[in-house]
Amino acid sequence: MSILSVQQLSKNYGYIHALKNVSFEVPKGSVFGILGPNGSGKTTLLGIIMDVLKPSAGSYLWMGKPGSDEQRKNIGTLLETPNFYHYLSGADNLAIAAAIKGKGKENIDKVLETVNLLQRKNSRFNTYSLGMKQRLAIASSLLGDPDILVFDEPTNGLDPAGIAEIRQLIIQLSYQGKTIIMASHILDEVEKVCSHVAIIQKGVLKTVGTVHEILSTNSTANVQVVEIASDDIKSLELVIKDMPGVSAVEIKNGTLHIITDDSVQASSINRYCFEKGIVLNTLLLKRKSLESTFLEITGNQSDR
Amino acid sequence: MLALLKIEWLKVKTYRTFWVLFGAFVLLYPITFYFTANKYMETINIKSDETNMLNSILGSPFVFPKVWHSASWFGGLFFVILGMLFILLITNEVQYRTHRQNIIDGWSRTDFILAKFSVMISFIGIGTILVFLSGLIVGLVLTPSNSTATLFEGLSYIGYFAAMAALYLIVAFLIAILIKRTGLSIIIYFTIVCIVDNLLWVVLTLKDSQFGYFLPLEAADSLIPNPFKPKMMERRTVSDFSLLITAFGYITLFGYIILSSFKRSDLKT
Repeated sequence: MSILSVQQLSKNYGYIHALKNVSFEVPKGSVFGILGPNGSGKTTLLGIIMDVLKPSAGSYLWMGKPGSDEQRKNIGTLLETPNFYHYLSGADNLAIAAAIKGKGKENIDKVLETVNLLQRKNSRFNTYSLGMKQRLAIASSLLGDPDILVFDEPTNGLDPAGIAEIRQLIIQLSYQGKTIIMASHILDEVEKVCSHVAIIQKGVLKTVGTVHEILSTNSTANVQVVEIASDDIKSLELVIKDMPGVSAVEIKNGTLHIITDDSVQASSINRYCFEKGIVLNTLLLKRKSLESTFLEITGNQSDR
Repeated sequence: MLALLKIEWLKVKTYRTFWVLFGAFVLLYPITFYFTANKYMETINIKSDETNMLNSILGSPFVFPKVWHSASWFGGLFFVILGMLFILLITNEVQYRTHRQNIIDGWSRTDFILAKFSVMISFIGIGTILVFLSGLIVGLVLTPSNSTATLFEGLSYIGYFAAMAALYLIVAFLIAILIKRTGLSIIIYFTIVCIVDNLLWVVLTLKDSQFGYFLPLEAADSLIPNPFKPKMMERRTVSDFSLLITAFGYITLFGYIILSSFKRSDLKT
């Protein structure tokens, strides 16, 4: 039985369709990533399954049953921004969360320790930095040791050390057998940590499956990313766009990243450019990554 | 609901603004009432013809049995402080989105409303007890020993106070849930309580119409008329009981609107 089953969920705000008929299943024990550009509907989706927003149509089931407050008490959630009582300390805020859940009072110190916030536990929430607020929110989601965790951009506001710590934490939690649902647009993190991924754009589910499946079979054929550059990037861009087998071209930091079929050899690219009068000064085959797949599926723009 | 109240207590027990406003009511009301009563009695005791006549017209407002009426009326004046505090507690939750967090952590929409309702009941209870004690103490201190009044005459005003408190708070609750912004909610609340309600009453009771007495806040206000207004100027002819029923009806109606609105809404700011 899936931990979460989403069926034809839709959400409209007037004329804006934030979600359109989204359906997927989250298997038990997976680390399920929800990827999408900004504005794609990830937070709306998480808001609906946590009963913060009401869907316009469709339904969802947690462990085969409709969502209820009893279930939510056993799901650790971090949704959008950390929402706490500004005038209360970190520890007092966690005490309230624990009282509502009906559990977790005894592990307040432990969860604060896990996120490195123990030394500031008695400081008021409004004295916390952004990173500390985020970490308090993560600590709150760990109260009572829930088996299911829902994280909306967990690394938001964290410095690189914090990001690495949270990545470790998520991996550790998943080893303990917990099911984790994570919305993010940091593709690198998702690739390192998730077992499954669903890609959403403009409220529509583009693809869903294990990370391995997505990387090996995406919308078109097998692809690879090649980084090339020459002294004249503009001419190179014009030339390479027309090369057969090239499906996307992006300028990044002074070089071109092109997406091609993986039947296209590096030497063919080299020869093609030379025959068109362009001499390459960089030619690099990059490992196929979730980022390139993602960009290919969604295009290079944030959703409006 | 007691468990919900305990959690609400956790939210406010170290909140300074809460204590300032709550303390203001708990201290200012009895003190003002006592000093006003004292001053009045001093003036009356000068024992001239004018003061005797004044006192009999007004019906000795600070001794038994009328002291219950006066204590309730004074309590009503100060109770808007708690109304304002109640609005603040609710709009804060919306502004800081902690109401979302409460739901995410596992409260149902109904739980959240009931939790706030339990706070409302506590405010009514505390206000009523305070009114009772103020009336009792002032009455005991100032009533001359040759008075024939019993302690229990006129005690119904304490009950009317509770009804009035309930109505004032449910209106505050409704405004807070619908308007959601602290400043605007408080302004609207005071406008309705102090101005709109009274204006509408004046308009609707022209030509001896009794309709004005059935407006939401007026229903309760009229149960406890101004004790300093001589009885013959009283124009109400509808019974106390009908007003109580009306008050109860409004409380039920507003409560229903609050609950159904919150259950259906998206929890954004």
